[in-house]
Amino acid sequence: MRERGSPLFRRHRPSWRAPVELLSFGLYFLCAVLLVLSRIGHGVIADTRDGLVDLTAPLLEAASFPAIEARRAMERVQSYVAAFDEVDRLKMENEELKQWEWRTKLLERKVAHLRALLNAVEEPGLVFATGRVIADARGPFVRSALINLGRQDGLRIGYAVINGDGLVGRTVDAGGAVARVLLLNDLNSRIPVLVGPAGVRGLASGDNSTELQLDFLPDGATLYAGDEVYTSGSDGVLPRGLRVGVVTGTQGAFKVRPYAELNSLDTVSVLFFDAPALTRADPPAKGSVGALSAVPHVDRTATTASASLPMPTVIKHAGAASGISAGGGQAQAER
Amino acid sequence: MTKFLPALSVLFAVVATAVPWGLPADATFILPLVMVMMVFCWRAIPGAALPPAGATALGLLADLMSGGPLGYWALMSLTAATVGGRAGSLGEGRDLGFHWLIWIALVSALACFGWLLASLYYFRWIDWWPIAFGALASIALFPVVLHGLLWIRHGRLGPERSAIFRGGS
Repeated sequence: MRERGSPLFRRHRPSWRAPVELLSFGLYFLCAVLLVLSRIGHGVIADTRDGLVDLTAPLLEAASFPAIEARRAMERVQSYVAAFDEVDRLKMENEELKQWEWRTKLLERKVAHLRALLNAVEEPGLVFATGRVIADARGPFVRSALINLGRQDGLRIGYAVINGDGLVGRTVDAGGAVARVLLLNDLNSRIPVLVGPAGVRGLASGDNSTELQLDFLPDGATLYAGDEVYTSGSDGVLPRGLRVGVVTGTQGAFKVRPYAELNSLDTVSVLFFDAPALTRADPPAKGSVGALSAVPHVDRTATTASASLPMPTVIKHAGAASGISAGGGQAQAER
Repeated sequence: MTKFLPALSVLFAVVATAVPWGLPADATFILPLVMVMMVFCWRAIPGAALPPAGATALGLLADLMSGGPLGYWALMSLTAATVGGRAGSLGEGRDLGFHWLIWIALVSALACFGWLLASLYYFRWIDWWPIAFGALASIALFPVVLHGLLWIRHGRLGPERSAIFRGGS
């Protein structure tokens, strides 16, 4: 028998009076309006959003710290378990890489000699900054990540974002101290690419899954699973030659598996590549300096570039993260 | 402080949705739906106060942090709050099974609606599997989350929990 006298079972009569109903209706209407404004990309919404994301960034950064540390601890445990196999594998890989090193040096000398013969113009080096992923955005709409670098660090909308494995995405929103990176596999991501040794042109499009679609290949293009995919730079936004992934699938249904593990990003580098299209779309603020023309204004621990980069390179080691940062970023920048 | 427990716990869930856990691509929908489920559960727990406006604000915060269109999770949270409020509280003779059934119906409707809304937003059919997987996971997690929220509400599960889970029997 139920105890009707217990406060737990006291009937809470909902009062569906007109003002409450009106408020509910108003809230539904507000949501609908926000959705529409968000769809058309209203400037006020975007500005407000940037400001609010800046405000919530410290909270997110603090909240993500234990999660990132826990993930690293798990990875460490896994690596300890597989340590002996890993050492054997690395020894073999090291032997192979020594051969590659020798061949690369030979090729570098050849390229330098040929460039000298051609009197080729030196390409400018890429400036980049390294930061940490502080939030992960998932859902039916977006595959994006929030990083702890913003306009204060010289970052602008449209810059390529890489990690040690390859291209990760590009910046789509930039606040003062944080920026949002649209990942390669997002539904809105379109990257013009070159495929394989023949440099077949195509478009790598995200569809929110782990692999990218490879569209707009020329008729009769011959591709093979395992072919390298890298950026073509023909969009005038991303630099040419950034590693994207490898071709998978079969003829007629080719896909690209990104090198970067997009589900568990940790440390990423932003390449300050100021293409003309990008400068028009997001002009630099007054008083700021172009990334390729000079080192961006940064008030932080900065180290100048290693000798292999032709121009000074800024490296921001944000927080306690180390990871790939300089090495991986430099390798990509040099490419 | 007790008055703000529902909002604070949902706020915690909202922040958790944005933390980089490194979850696989198929599991991306689980945490946001758990947040929506918490809104539904708080509306069903007797004495707990989470007004629809509060649920909408928390949903907007989730939208903001996720970088998705503003209003999407707010709409989901508001719908869960409305349905949760109308379903009657757990103390009114409704038991866990009854609310579980309502959640199954609600999350199925929300998943379909969410998928259609996302497809409409992009003018292309969105992959439905992550949404379906998230909805199934939230159905499986419902008793666990409800137990957790009751524990947060009362500090213990004790006799009230047993009364609630006996329900109308």
